[in-house]
Amino acid sequence: MSAPAPFNARRRSLAWKIGYLAAIGVLLMPLFLLSHPATRAVDPQGQRGRPGGYLARLRQEYRLNQADIGQIDPTTETIRLTTLGMRGVAGNLLWSKANDYQMKKDWTNLRATLEQISRLQPHSIGVWRYQAWNLSYNVSVAFDDYRDKYYWVMEGIKFMQRGAELNEHEPRLVWDIGWFISQKIGRADEADLYRKLFRQDDEFHGSRPPEKRDNWLVGKEYFHEAEQRVDAEHPIRGLSDAVFFSNAPMCQFYYAQALEKDGTFGDAAVRAWKQAAAEWREYGDLEMPTIHDVTVRLNDQEMWERQARQTAAELDKLAPGLREKIAREKRAKLSAAELAACETPLEKRTPEQIRLAGDAELRLAVTFNEVARRVSDSRGRRAALELAEQATHEADMATWVRQARSPVNFEYWRLRAEVEQTAEAVAAHKALYDGDQAFAHGDLIAAREAYEHAIKLWRTVLDRFPAFMEDINTGEELMRVIRRYREMLKQLDEPFPKPFILQDIIDKHGQRGE
Amino acid sequence: MVIENLDTTPVAPWLLGPGWVDGVLLGPWAMAIEIPLLVLVAWWGVRTLRRGPTVVSHRAGLTAGLLVWGAMLLAGLVATAWFLAVPIAGETTTRTLLAALLSPVARGLHLLLGPEWYEGALYRWGLVILCLLAAVFGVGWLVAAVRTGPVEATARSGRALLEAVLDLARTSPRRVAALAWLAFRDSLRRKALVVFAVFLVLMAFAGWFLSPQSDHPARLYLQFVMIATGYLMLLMALFLSALSLPGDIKDRTLTTIVTKPVRATEIVLGRVLGFTLIGTGLLLGMAAVSYVFTVRGLDHTHQLTAATLHDEVVPGRPGTWKKGTTSYVHGHKHDVSISPSGDAVVEVQQDHWHDVTIEGSGDSAVYHLGEPQGLLVARVPIYGKLRFTNNQGQEVERGVNVGDEWTYRSFLLGGGRASAIWTFAGIDREAFPESMFPEAIPVEMTIEVFRSHKGDVSKPILGRLWVRNPQTGRQIDVRNFGARKFATDVEWIPRTLVERKSDGRTERVDLLGEMVSDDGQLEIGLQCLEPGQYFGVAQADLYFRARDASFLANYLKGFTGLWLQMVLVLATGVMLSTFLSAPVAILATAAVVIGGLCSTYVAQLAAGKMVGGGPFESFIRIVTQQNMITDLEPGLQTNVALMSDKLMQGLLWIVSSVLPAFEQFDLADSVAYGFDISWMVFGKCLLRAAAFFLPAMLAGYFFLKVREVGK
Repeated sequence: MSAPAPFNARRRSLAWKIGYLAAIGVLLMPLFLLSHPATRAVDPQGQRGRPGGYLARLRQEYRLNQADIGQIDPTTETIRLTTLGMRGVAGNLLWSKANDYQMKKDWTNLRATLEQISRLQPHSIGVWRYQAWNLSYNVSVAFDDYRDKYYWVMEGIKFMQRGAELNEHEPRLVWDIGWFISQKIGRADEADLYRKLFRQDDEFHGSRPPEKRDNWLVGKEYFHEAEQRVDAEHPIRGLSDAVFFSNAPMCQFYYAQALEKDGTFGDAAVRAWKQAAAEWREYGDLEMPTIHDVTVRLNDQEMWERQARQTAAELDKLAPGLREKIAREKRAKLSAAELAACETPLEKRTPEQIRLAGDAELRLAVTFNEVARRVSDSRGRRAALELAEQATHEADMATWVRQARSPVNFEYWRLRAEVEQTAEAVAAHKALYDGDQAFAHGDLIAAREAYEHAIKLWRTVLDRFPAFMEDINTGEELMRVIRRYREMLKQLDEPFPKPFILQDIIDKHGQRGE
Repeated sequence: MVIENLDTTPVAPWLLGPGWVDGVLLGPWAMAIEIPLLVLVAWWGVRTLRRGPTVVSHRAGLTAGLLVWGAMLLAGLVATAWFLAVPIAGETTTRTLLAALLSPVARGLHLLLGPEWYEGALYRWGLVILCLLAAVFGVGWLVAAVRTGPVEATARSGRALLEAVLDLARTSPRRVAALAWLAFRDSLRRKALVVFAVFLVLMAFAGWFLSPQSDHPARLYLQFVMIATGYLMLLMALFLSALSLPGDIKDRTLTTIVTKPVRATEIVLGRVLGFTLIGTGLLLGMAAVSYVFTVRGLDHTHQLTAATLHDEVVPGRPGTWKKGTTSYVHGHKHDVSISPSGDAVVEVQQDHWHDVTIEGSGDSAVYHLGEPQGLLVARVPIYGKLRFTNNQGQEVERGVNVGDEWTYRSFLLGGGRASAIWTFAGIDREAFPESMFPEAIPVEMTIEVFRSHKGDVSKPILGRLWVRNPQTGRQIDVRNFGARKFATDVEWIPRTLVERKSDGRTERVDLLGEMVSDDGQLEIGLQCLEPGQYFGVAQADLYFRARDASFLANYLKGFTGLWLQMVLVLATGVMLSTFLSAPVAILATAAVVIGGLCSTYVAQLAAGKMVGGGPFESFIRIVTQQNMITDLEPGLQTNVALMSDKLMQGLLWIVSSVLPAFEQFDLADSVAYGFDISWMVFGKCLLRAAAFFLPAMLAGYFFLKVREVGK
């Protein structure tokens, strides 16, 4: 009689189980090789950890680890798990709710919903930027009391700080914090009140000493931190390099300006403006990429122009008079209408003449290469072509630097720093301040004396720096004082002096600020 | 607190019509006779039915069926004649003829039930139930008629109705209790308590989501705990109720039950009661845990040392005060002012203040600020009716629109005669006893401010409050104030007002004696004083704060709202599970729950108020990527889509009308915002729940009866 069937069945079952276990063991090997997690790349003692399996190495290479992006937040991870893959749906619902709460001005629930959104999408830079801006700029203005407005401006800043912690390599978030602190607090209509509250905000500043609690200085700190975060893997997004790096020194400018507005003059103001000038020079020495595949330094425009002029002069020495001859030839090829258009003064040209003159002037321009190619002597021509190429490159560089300077008003701020650090300028501002204070207290005599002193000092400054006459801000400020001075003289039954010492300011900026 | 549709109608007029007091049948003496009479008749009827025959005869069924058909046909005829208004002769139409015939009936009803009795919710509900019953009867008759012919169908339908009455009368409370207990144990077996474990886990991690540093922390905590509890309970009720009967049918345990002398009413009622019992237990547990969580989460203290105080002279107050700021805890600190006599006044921050105790004396004194006060409150508001006047002093329907997307509030232009006027009723000394309000009566208001120009941003926009007797027209200014946007300001109206006359004299006026009309009405007016600036208000933005009710009682009322939602879901789930399989019952119950939670949105869809059209039009817009504003291109496709949408809207209207609107039972906001849920609102919630519960139970009974297992 054979072994009972059940015993055979049990042996078969056991054999299958052993087989399965063996297969599991075998499959664990490739699984381990694929998914083995990495230990820390470098521990505090400097010992290298293990790189982990293939997937861990890939994550390391492409910097996709949570730890590489920023701090790991357990709440965030929990929420992502509990949404069971429907994070996008949950996110959409929360955004919709947030918009609804904002429309209905339910700020408490809005804030709580933003917190949930940020936990669902902690590494989405756009979420942090948009909602922080929303709190600081939109929600704050919904309030009437300036203290409530300030509270919500700071809520937006704190929200962004949290985002910066969770995305510790992202420079733009930190830059935005700097922007909010400097611009939102420093240039709002309520700027005076905000700046005062900001200085008194112990909870925000922590151990920061009182003298460093100016919003412009704190903003500058954040801009510097943002600059340090920029690297090849974390480029600047949404801004040119010129604008990105300009904000830190700009904060110094505004700080110096704010010092004088708050009534601090003398050495402190001069130091602040000198610091601004130095930082602007440092900024001008930074290598900035351009769209022309070259990098430029904003300080170098004059250097390139000088070099271009020198090279052009050397070129002209090789073929004296050739440039003028080419120009005459080109002029001769113009039509009568084009000639007439070019000869008509700019302010008298008709639209058709403007068009004709524009085209003609382009055709009239004599390039370095045209001069070089017309050099008769072959050896001379070779040298001329080299000089032409060099001069063209130098002229192009000068143009590109000028283009890069334009968005940040580089020349204006350089001049401004130079002017404002002079003792005369500081004294002029002080005199204006004293005049305003006296006027506010109803002391017209003292106000008049102070304004007259300020006007004389400004005359000295403008004579020393004529280019500063073009400054619109200064022009507006002086026109404000001149109008008030005129009104005061009227009240004192005194005539407005003619010719007025700042008549050129009136002529240039008289219509502004009316 | 934002209340979009402030309901101040008392329960009785809401239920029985605005003129119920004048109804002969509804007068106090009549009710004193009618109610015992009704109870007696009901008792006698039930007793008779319980002792009478257990089976309904064919003849009785046929008679009942014919009567019902007769009534339905008559009603149908009347309705058709009324709505079609067919002309008969000259100017006479069927409508005018009916009006003449039915006017004695109408007058009789007017006399018995009071004028405009038809506005009463009870009668409308009754009409809807009758229509539903008629529809069910009609459909049932049709199905039976196809099988057995019209006469037999009439008899069967009539018999089903009479059997329903018999079943109801013969329902045994003992059997219901037994089945309820069975359902309770079944729920325990199905691990219904898991919900409580999930809730505890949520509470354990809720601290990650909730910040006590919020500007209204109590509101945040209370909303969170109530919303979390509500969703968990609805989920539990959904699965428990929808899976129960299909599960029993599948396991054939139900056949064991129905072979016993158990009625369908008892099965349905027993299930619902059993699940309600376990749900109530869970809800009570969750309420307790939530309360402890909230109180502990909000609890904090501050410290203040004498060394941090500085002397300050307070204008208008004698002596030198000491002022300082407390330690920074939970995202805030308080300014504290200590009077020369040692009394401390703590500034309100984040909706609360603290009582102060002093330890030590002199420079080494330490001031302890105790538990937060005023966080967990239940204000009892007295709301008024709001109207507006424009700059010319004329009454207008609404104030100015300043371009705000949300039109909840209307705005008054400042510097002129534009004002917002609230008319309060029931203002008397009893509402504001001197023992509670010895010197002044509190009015709380939340004003929105709109600046058309910045002005002086360091100063608030000024406004003025005045009071007026609507009967005599006497008006007295109370005070000017600086408005603080989005904050609830408390203004105290003195019991004795000082009226300044034009000749410079002043007169003292008793607020409750001389400024309240004979019928207890008082007007409060609000104006903005600054030209070019605006105040925005809504009806619920200004109210008398009569007193504070018990927060705990209010909290429990709030949870009762959740309980009512749960009971409705249970009733719906059990009803649907009597004829649907488990997965379909879950889906159907879930659809009812979601529809109920979004009832306002569904109603807007049904009314065609949503931009972008109905489902077919929206589909065309999505596929063709058109925006929601421009019209579709005219053509056959558009016409078909629009017609189909009209049909869908009609169907949706029917569905939205029968769906329980869960939002009406959501009392969480009142608890979270610190407003007492009045017994009027609470009573209406209970009645509304009953209005949905009873038909659900009735439907469940009929569905179970119809199934083979129910026979």
